[in-house]
Formats: sequence, C-alpha cells, structure tokens
Amino acid sequence: MSNKIACSHCHLEFSKDVMIQDGENYFCCNGCQGVYHLLSDSGLDSFYEKSAGVTLTPPTKQYEDSSNFNSPAFYDRFVSQNSDGFCEVSLIIEGIHCSACVWLNEKALHKMEGVVEANINFTNNKAHIVWSDDVVKLSEIIDMIRAIGYNAYPYDATLQEAHANKVRKEYYLRLAVAIFASMNVMWIAVAQYAGYFTGITQEMKTILNIAEGVLATPVLFYSGWVFFRGAYYGLRNRVVNMDLLVATGALLTYVYSLYITIREHGEAYFDSVSMIITFVLVGKFLEVLSKKNAADTLDIIGKHLPDEVNIIRDGKVLSCKLQDVQVGERIVVNSGEKVLLDGKILKGEGSFDESNLTGESKPILKTIGDDVISGTTSIDADIEFEATKDFAHSTLSNLVTLLESAINKKPKIEVLANRLSEHFSSVILFLAFATFAVWWLWPHSFEESLMVGISVIVIACPCALGLATPVATLVGLSLGAKRGILFKEAAQLETMAKVDVLLLDKTGTLTLGKPNVVAVKNYKEFDIELLYSLINASKHPISKSIKEYIETTYSSMNSYAFDSFLHIAARGVEATYKNQKLLGGNERLMKERGITLEYTSKNTHFYFAIDGEVVALYELEDTVKQGAYELVEQMHARGVEVVMLTGDNNLSAQKVAKGVGITQYYAELTPEEKLHYVEELHKNGKVVVMVGDGVNDILALAKADIGIVMGSGSDIAVEVSDVVLLNDSLESLLGAFKISKTTFSLIKQNFAISLIYNAITIPLAMAGLVIPLVAALSMSFSSLLVVGNSMRIRYKWNRS
Amino acid sequence: MDNMVVAMMLGASLFLGGVALVAFLWAIKTGQFDDEEKFLNAVKFDNEDDLNDAIKQEKKREALKKKDYKPE
Repeated sequence: MSNKIACSHCHLEFSKDVMIQDGENYFCCNGCQGVYHLLSDSGLDSFYEKSAGVTLTPPTKQYEDSSNFNSPAFYDRFVSQNSDGFCEVSLIIEGIHCSACVWLNEKALHKMEGVVEANINFTNNKAHIVWSDDVVKLSEIIDMIRAIGYNAYPYDATLQEAHANKVRKEYYLRLAVAIFASMNVMWIAVAQYAGYFTGITQEMKTILNIAEGVLATPVLFYSGWVFFRGAYYGLRNRVVNMDLLVATGALLTYVYSLYITIREHGEAYFDSVSMIITFVLVGKFLEVLSKKNAADTLDIIGKHLPDEVNIIRDGKVLSCKLQDVQVGERIVVNSGEKVLLDGKILKGEGSFDESNLTGESKPILKTIGDDVISGTTSIDADIEFEATKDFAHSTLSNLVTLLESAINKKPKIEVLANRLSEHFSSVILFLAFATFAVWWLWPHSFEESLMVGISVIVIACPCALGLATPVATLVGLSLGAKRGILFKEAAQLETMAKVDVLLLDKTGTLTLGKPNVVAVKNYKEFDIELLYSLINASKHPISKSIKEYIETTYSSMNSYAFDSFLHIAARGVEATYKNQKLLGGNERLMKERGITLEYTSKNTHFYFAIDGEVVALYELEDTVKQGAYELVEQMHARGVEVVMLTGDNNLSAQKVAKGVGITQYYAELTPEEKLHYVEELHKNGKVVVMVGDGVNDILALAKADIGIVMGSGSDIAVEVSDVVLLNDSLESLLGAFKISKTTFSLIKQNFAISLIYNAITIPLAMAGLVIPLVAALSMSFSSLLVVGNSMRIRYKWNRS
Repeated sequence: MDNMVVAMMLGASLFLGGVALVAFLWAIKTGQFDDEEKFLNAVKFDNEDDLNDAIKQEKKREALKKKDYKPE
C-alpha cells in the first residue's frame, strides 16, 4: 500500500495516480486544492501545523446561492444590532474537527474587512459574529466560511440558548463561591473537631468561629439566594417545598451559630450551613447543565434557512417576505422546495409530499386547478400558483395558533420529589419545633433546647433528598444521550415511566415514511447499470429508494454518461444512450408512450423500458421500521395500551397495524381529531405518551403528557415535543422507555436510602445525642450513598 | 499571643483566597470559561502573531465605530 499518499489539505489517503499533483503537493480533489491555495495566499498556512494528524472532510459540497442570507426576512429573524451599531448573528459552523479548525475560521473572518469579532465555541460549534453592515454583508461572511471548507447556518439564540446560558452562568458563579467557602470552612472545622476532642481554649474557638462565620455568610446569602427565592414562591403558592426546608434549616443554624459565637459558649455549626447549601446547589446545577446541553443539541438539528417565497410581479420574479404576500399573488415553487402558502395551481404539475400534514405516505400528483396546501413539499413539481389565503390564515399558521393553546393547557404531573419533599419538609419542621418545646418544658435551658431542636433540622438536612432526583436523572439523561435520545427536561423521565397509553403515528414513525422496494420483476435480461445511471440522475424519492436497493443487491456500480437526459415531472425520466431509448417511470408515463402493461396492484410501481419494451418492474411500498413489532409486544407486556393514530387511509393503516400487532387504530384523522383523542384519554385520567414526526401530529404532541418526536421530523414538531429521538429508530423509543423506568426506580431507591437514614438519625438528634462532628459526617455520608447508588446503575447499563 | 498569630494567619489566607475567588468570578463573568476546550487550546496556540492580530482587531473595531474606516 506504499503508493497511497495523503492529500495536502484534508489528509485523507488515496493512491498516487488519482491525485492532482500541484508542485510538491498532492490533492484529492479541486475543493482541497482551492482551500489550500486560499489559505497559503492569505498567510494562514500555519493551520496545517496546528491540525497535524487530523483528517478533514474534503470541501466538495455545492451550496445554493448565499444571497438569501441578505434578505430582509432573514435579517429580521436572526440578525440583531448592538449598541455600537454593529450587526450580530449566531451561527452553527458545520465541519469543525479540531481546535485548529476553530482557529482557522476565526482568523479567516478576522482578516475580512468589516468583521469586528468572530468567536467560535469549539465544544458546541456555535459562532458569534459581529460585523459592520456598511462594509461587509452577511452573505460574504458565509461565502468565506464556505470557501475555506466549512458551512454555516443560523440559529435563534434568543429562543433557548440565551436563557439557558444566563441561568448556567448564574449557577456557576453561585456554586464557585459556595465550593470555595465550603472547602475553607472544612479546614477550619477540622481544627474545631480536633479541639472538641482534645480540648481547646474558648478564645481560640471564637477566632475559628468568626473565620467560619465570615466564610459561611456569602454562601448563605449569595449562593443560597436561590433557595430563599424558591421558598418565597412556594409559600406564595401555599406549598411547603424543599427550598423552604433548606432555607429555614440553613438560616436557623446560621443565626444560632452567630448567637453562640457572640455568647462565646457552645458549639457553632457554620460548617453545616455551607455544606447544606453547597450540596443541594450542586444538585440544582446538574439539572441546569442538562438543560443547556439539550438546548445545544436542539439548535443543531433545527437548521433554519431563510423563509421567503418567490413571487411574480409585473413579469419579474421577486423574493418576498412570507407575511407580505397578498391574496391573489402569483407564487413560484420549484422542485424540492416547501410550499409556505395555500393556493391554486396556475401553471405546471408534479407530485407533492403531503405526509407531513396528512400522514398520506404516497406522493400526490397535482396539476393545474388543484389546491396546494402550506406545509407540504414539492418533490419534482415546478409550479406557479395563486395564493388563496394570506399567511396569517394559512393551514400552517392555523395549526400554530391551535398549538399555542394546546401547550398552555398541558397537564403537569407532579414529580415524586416535590410531593415527597412537601410532606418531608412539613414533618421535619414540626418535629424540630416539638423537640425544642419538649426539651424546654422538661426543664432545660433555652439555649440547650434550641440547640437540640436545630440539630434535628441539621441532621435531617435534605442533602441526600436534594441530590436524589438530580443525580438519578442526570444518569438517565446521559444514558439517553449516548443512544440518541434527548430529553428536554429531567422531570420528563419520571412522567414517562408512568405511561398508561402509547399513541403512535404511522407514517414516518412506525414506518420509514418513504417508499422501499418490496418486489422486483425482470421481464428480460438487461444491463443493470443502465437503470442505475438513469435513476442516479433523479432526486425523486422513488428513484432514491431503487438506487439504494440496487446498490445493496449488486456490488460495484458505474454510471454511464448519457447522450441526452430529460426529467418528466410527476412521471419519470427519459434518456438515450448509444442509440438505446431508456425510459423509467410510473404507469402513466408508459401509457403515454404507448407501452401496454398487464400488471396492476395498489402499490407504487416503477417501470423500466428499453426501446419501448418493459424490461423490469419495481414495486415499492412504505415499509415498517425495524423493531416495531418488538416495541408493541414489550409495551403490551408492561400493560401499556398501544394505539395507532394516522391521517392516512384505513386500508394502509390496517395493514401496518396488523403487521406490528396493534389491535386499536384510528385512520383518516385530522390534527384536531388526534388532539381530541388525547383529551379524551386525559379525561379518563390516563398518562399519555404520543410519538410522531409531522406537522399533523403537533397538536397531539403538545397536549400529550410526553410528546416524542423523530429527529428528522418537522422543525415545529421538534420544538413542541419533550423527547427527541435523534436517530429516528424505534429501538431508541423502546430504549427511552427503559431508561425512564430505570431512572424512576433509581429515584425511588435514592429516596428510600435518604429516608431510612433520616429515620435512624432523627430520633438520635431528638434525644440530644448527636454531636456536631457526627451531624456533619452523616450528612456527607448519606449524600455519598445516594450518588454511589446512582453510579451503580450507570455501570450496570454501560456493561450490558 | 498565640491566638493573635492564628487569627492573623487565618485572616491573611482568607484574604488571599478571596482575591483568587474574585479573579475566578471575573473570568466566568467575562465568558473566559464558556468553552471548556478552547481556553486550554489558547495556551497551545499562543504566539506573537495572535497578539498582533488581537490588537489589529481592536483597532479595527475602534475605526469602524468612528465610521471613518477606510479599507487599506
């Protein structure tokens, strides 16, 4: 293999004779060569030193025109102006492999005139760019990023990230203070405990107490502020929550310790104050972190591209903001584009993918006079249509309006931690007060009684209880993340474990949502590479599926160069090769060319004819995803009702339901009917999990207790759902259920541990038998037990 | 007397620790730890060119702000 050498740009290895030689350098493609020269011309070639040993992706992709990044609609949505009059945008950079890539992008952008700041985050590939719009346009910036072999697309930072980042930073600061102070308090506490056992002068004790007090003050009032805030909001809603217990416990202990320090008698508990706050704050921080990670992943899958339509005014094609289109205007839609407004076709014909909206899995042919619906996608149709409704009244925005009300009315299942901590907090506060009262009446000094009362709160400190849920859910979330399951909120793990009814969409959820080859008939011997070349040039989903099928059945395939080639919208493709007339397409195409066919069935067909004679027939059908049967079986075994809801016709619904073992299914449902079905179930007190992917599922997804969406689903569906399955597979859906169940049992175990712990230690504290050292140690020990138990599950899962 | 020594040492070390904490909080606030990978790599790639580049960038920003910026 010695004749293989690495490309000078991307470092991928190829044999020497296919490489482009350029002086001393070899390149695998023109793209790499271009980037290499661009970099060395602008003095950025130290990139290759920095990226040594890393292979890059060759920049071979063709991008559409970047000028639509300059459109007013795009600026409106993604570009903001800062106080200096500069423009700002948040982008996600695709193709970053190593820190050298980050360096290269930043440097290349800095070298551009007018770019004030370019800051790229290596961990999540997000970039923040500031530029002066008078000097340089955003499209030029995008072109530069593409020129050096990367790609960029915008995301809406205000949507999720800005908030998540702010919260994360706030907790970060508070935690930094808490950990710093607690660690120092612990050193001083060691001296205190040593003194407790071996004797210590009161003066020395007071000095140590003052130092501890100085450290504990910012912890309680700065770091612990979140608990006071939480307790306040809880009380306003008449709920005794965990925050209240933490806040009262810490505050009472703090005040008591201050009193001890001033009276110069007894034991101060400043170390407990900072420990309580720090431990529970760590638990809260873990929750915040998982939310931030979810926000990052969501920004990456929702590739926002400019939403604009092309309209014809006075014989010219103009791009226009969606909201500005008037009823009666002529709109142009090309193949592969989304239809964004409702209307009637004036010119052209072709097939449309309506699965997103109706659940119908087959492409639908539309011609002049037919209605097009917003939210569908043109497969191969180049049409002009007249808008019959403006954007505010279109099918798509009607759904969005309904959606908002569905989200607001979403039921909230109270999580176990909240219910439990409410009772726990009330009981502990009551016990502490009762202890104090009993000790005082059973004649003891006020001081001593108060100390025993407080020691009850300190020992019952909900450190373990506060960590029980966050640690367990963090384990659950990270298990999910490894399998491509993204939970947006930690509490959803618990809700999902209580599922009663599982609702499944058909197209795109249970099935692949695209036609797959199910039968092949060869009428005559022919060169398979002819067919391969023919469909290779077409982007229609049917061609793509057949191509995939041929590639898996036959080994190496080569494409011929045709003498002539023609797309026939909604019918197929036609080509000539060495005097052979090739024709591939549907029944209609064959009939129009005078070719007679004998075979009929309800499935989609693709015919291949050479010189007017059909030589092969491919039968295609939307097939069920792998693991569908196992999913239904396992959910039934768990006692969960499985129901299929689809907008597709009864016949195909029946077929799929039978195939996977679902007995209960409803076909031809509108999005609203799906929503009503969920509401019906809620009335009967069921916990509903809905799984879907399209716009037609969004209402039900938003209303269900848990909405699960396929990662390839429409943006809006991803936005309203609680769980995203990044790899679209049903195995990961099953995995999500397993993880949620495991996590929920983990939470229960953790609660059991901390409650048993408290059941033993609280009576001791009430009897006044607990010394400060034991209180502090037991607190740490119970927290460690809870964390250790959670880690055990993670270890077990990772092994299996 | 012994007590005074302990008190002084405690005070001095807590003060020094506090200074370090304030510096750390400042670094978090200005976003220096937003990217946990990048600030480690910054050390690796630190050189004269990058410093010059940073100054140039700063000048460019000032010039653009004044709106009399003319591309060279």
